[in-house]
Amino acid sequence: MKEFKLQIVTPDGIEYDGMAESVLVRTDDGDVQILAGHVNYMASLGTGRAKITVGGKDRIAACSGGFITCNGIEVKLVAVTFEFADEIDIERAKRAKERAEDEIRRAASDKELELARARLRRAMSRISVAGK
Amino acid sequence: MAGAGMNNIKARMKSVKSTMQITGAMELVATSKLRRAKEKVERTRPFYETLGEAINEVIPALEMTDSVYTARRENDKTLFVVIAGDRGLAGGYNANIFRLTARLIKDGDIVLPVGKKACEHYKNKDYTLYGTEVSYVGDLGVGDALAIGESITKGFVGGEYGRVVIVYTRFVSMMTQSPVYEQLLPLECTGSCSTAVPEYDIDPEQMLEAIVPKYVGGVFYSAICEASASESGARRSAMNAANKNAKEMIDDLMLRYNRARQAIITQEITEIVSGAEAL
Repeated sequence: MKEFKLQIVTPDGIEYDGMAESVLVRTDDGDVQILAGHVNYMASLGTGRAKITVGGKDRIAACSGGFITCNGIEVKLVAVTFEFADEIDIERAKRAKERAEDEIRRAASDKELELARARLRRAMSRISVAGK
Repeated sequence: MAGAGMNNIKARMKSVKSTMQITGAMELVATSKLRRAKEKVERTRPFYETLGEAINEVIPALEMTDSVYTARRENDKTLFVVIAGDRGLAGGYNANIFRLTARLIKDGDIVLPVGKKACEHYKNKDYTLYGTEVSYVGDLGVGDALAIGESITKGFVGGEYGRVVIVYTRFVSMMTQSPVYEQLLPLECTGSCSTAVPEYDIDPEQMLEAIVPKYVGGVFYSAICEASASESGARRSAMNAANKNAKEMIDDLMLRYNRARQAIITQEITEIVSGAEAL
């Protein structure tokens, strides 16, 4: 398959920098897959599963926040968090999920509730990605 | 009496020594914090650079459409996001940031102070403050930075100010940190910028609605990482200089103490000798 240059960065460093055949991410409007030769594109990312294909092999990751841009030659994925399935600490994610559930029950304001819900979404996405 | 002089010097030496212990401890703390902060800055830099590159790519398309994010505003008020430290005793770290800001700011501009020292500094002055303030830089996470980015962008789109500038200290090396400023909004092409106008299937304006707040938050977060590493660096240098000064002072005092002691002995000998002669 044709390859393109893919760069994945988060505030914690470079997660991936190299050639890839496909990248699939959850944008605010749903899942989007980008292959080589995609038109110019830009989208804001939601929380969910991401999949990149390198050398015929799929790598699954939990991704949240940020955005993806494609300029026809290379694809840049700027995420707030991006963790490959094998790097996820599932115990930590489970604890984060419990904590978030607890916070949702005790949330005093709408803003707190929203933050706790986002945290829960991230934790659940991590757990589901790591479980696969 | 020479004896009293000696006691004075001794007391002074004691006080310098105890100050030196404090500055020495602070230097150690700053060094270990600096190491951690430096690693963090190195990890965040690619994120910051890619963020800028990605935004630079869309700017030409936005300029074509007179987007709210690139167009110059009639409102010439500027929002200054000033990042300083939470604590003092860091040499010129806080003062340099305030000096740079003072040079840029004009009447009617708004300030968003970040860090305890910045909050204290701007509260006492006649500046218009942004609604919220961030009193502690130390415990700001990515989530907080993004929330602030969103609120800053909202104010800009709403026309509360026509420009957003961030002032922070860039971490150049362990020894050098330089105060810098950067324009966040309206988006402007910095560095290498393609002149070709990319075409998008979707309206770029619509895409950016969700992306610009994240961009602003991301740059803000990177700036905080740079600033906190700079703060530790500046504190370490300041404490190192303080230690050196204290050492010099102690050496000098020791010399004076010994001279005073010698003077007393000489005086005693003279007194004994002249007493013996009198007999």
